[in-house]
Amino acid sequence: MHKSYREPIKLEQASVISQHHFDGEQHILRLHSPRCAQAAKAGQFVHLTVGPELALRRPISIMLADARQGYIDLLYKVVGSGTRILSQRRPGDSISLLGPVGKPFSVSQGTRLPLLIGGGVGMPPMIFLAHELRQHKQLQPFVILGSEVAFPFDLEPSQHLVDGLPDGVIACMPLLQQWGIPSRLASRQGFAGCHDGFVTDLARNWLDTLTADSLKQVELFSCGPEPMLQAVAQLAADYDLPCQLSLEEYMACAVGGCAGCTVAVTSQQQTRMQRVCVDGPVFAARQIYPDLFTTRQVNQ
Amino acid sequence: MTEPLLKTELCGLHMDSLIVLLSGCVGFGEEYTRVEGFSNRDVGAICLKGTTGSLRPGNAPHRIYETPAGMLNAIGLQNPGVDAVVDNILPTLDFSETRFIANVSGSTLEEYIEVTRRFDDSPIDAIEINISCPNVKEGGVAFGNDPAMSARVVEACRGVTDKPLITKLSPNQTDIAANAKGCIEAGTDGFSVINTLMGMAIDIESRKPVIGNNQGGLSGPAIKPVALLKVHQVYQVCREHNIPIIGQGGINSARDAIEFLLAGASAVGVGTALFYDPLICPKINAGIANYMRQHGFASVSDMTGCLQLNG
Repeated sequence: MHKSYREPIKLEQASVISQHHFDGEQHILRLHSPRCAQAAKAGQFVHLTVGPELALRRPISIMLADARQGYIDLLYKVVGSGTRILSQRRPGDSISLLGPVGKPFSVSQGTRLPLLIGGGVGMPPMIFLAHELRQHKQLQPFVILGSEVAFPFDLEPSQHLVDGLPDGVIACMPLLQQWGIPSRLASRQGFAGCHDGFVTDLARNWLDTLTADSLKQVELFSCGPEPMLQAVAQLAADYDLPCQLSLEEYMACAVGGCAGCTVAVTSQQQTRMQRVCVDGPVFAARQIYPDLFTTRQVNQ
Repeated sequence: MTEPLLKTELCGLHMDSLIVLLSGCVGFGEEYTRVEGFSNRDVGAICLKGTTGSLRPGNAPHRIYETPAGMLNAIGLQNPGVDAVVDNILPTLDFSETRFIANVSGSTLEEYIEVTRRFDDSPIDAIEINISCPNVKEGGVAFGNDPAMSARVVEACRGVTDKPLITKLSPNQTDIAANAKGCIEAGTDGFSVINTLMGMAIDIESRKPVIGNNQGGLSGPAIKPVALLKVHQVYQVCREHNIPIIGQGGINSARDAIEFLLAGASAVGVGTALFYDPLICPKINAGIANYMRQHGFASVSDMTGCLQLNG
């Protein structure tokens, strides 16, 4: 059973530095929140009061935290009244922020080739994780991002060669390229340079090029819509890979007090409801989709 | 530390503040202490999560949903069972910080008795009985919606504990005052008024209820006027018997809390408001203390039931 993550949670009055708007009602919000920025780790989220109109906070995953300059970046999409109100916040506005919350990703011992797969508003934790992984020289991460609306960044051709990918799949995320991390993009919307299909297609293409020894060094990390997470879990089961998924659920308290955000988690043949906020949001794929893993013994 | 002015006594419990954190909102008493600035010492008591005879997994998601001025919840009494609570959780609590109140739930009369008996043999300060659970032996009607069944639960629990017993009354019934009267006769020492109001939210795209359990309990500012009236009605019965009420339902400020005191509460419960602002309790404490000074109240109990009805 997962241990709840017990680091302190800060409550601070963050101020909006900037809010950039992108196609598909996507927004990147930069908040001055030095204490949260100092403590944040990839996979964690913040719980925000979006405005005076709605009292209940909304959980938004962290895309980047700059401890030195004291800001965090959040990428989110308008999906309801809370995110709509959040999208109307302007520079200088003050937002109550609870965070960072949640158990972060943790790279397993023996992993050399982290494969990060993010879909839609599941991209931010993957970007944050990539940023953390670049500090570890022995790791060679590869990032695959998918979106069915325009990506919230300009695409550019990748300078990193990645084996096994279909011809013409050359577009990447510039920020990751700047960090020296190879990335590729997938969408069924026909964006130039992107794979016309699913993120998991690209992942399979790449995994199929690896030797048995290299495969043992791969670990999957993923965040995105539920069908995509299930497909990633299937991938982990098929290739016998450890896999960590970041989940989301409606939340009230986000500190573990209300048990409002639980998911069914199976461990040692026992299924229990665990809180996404503090027992997660990161869980082992085999604990969330145990049926996919029944035929294999997968290392965690 | 809270202001000395706010010290009070409720069912024999000495409390440093009249605020009680409500069951189901603060886990088993330690979850909120991770939030910087939050202290259990800012409240007079904490009601632990509803506890049953054995482990309950709780309901399928979604369990919560925000509605106008409130929220719906249907957690389904997820808890590890009374043995795990008494053996593993209670020893981790710091009883010098505040008073801890167990919240007892059950599907049968026997389960209420079993859980209460187990808590009786524990360091817990008091026991709150959640009588809003469905009675599985009698068609799933909530015990608390029927005065006779409510009294039977209280009587049964009373029979197995000498600890203070607080009965949490449901607003989902016709005559809450009559129910309260029966519970007093059955031996309750106090009341929590009110539990959540049952409600529903619907997703018009999927044409399904948003809440996994289809229906859920409504809490938050939306229910405050209902709760105030219920406290006022129950107080009419309680004052003859000197039985205290923990007024609760949408309290979000000192002003809200004072309204409940005037309506007849001796203490006030805070739950959903904590989700909005985890540090709200010291603010409510300070606001009540200010009001007391401004209006010349020397103690919390002096405010209880000071409501002057219009002629």
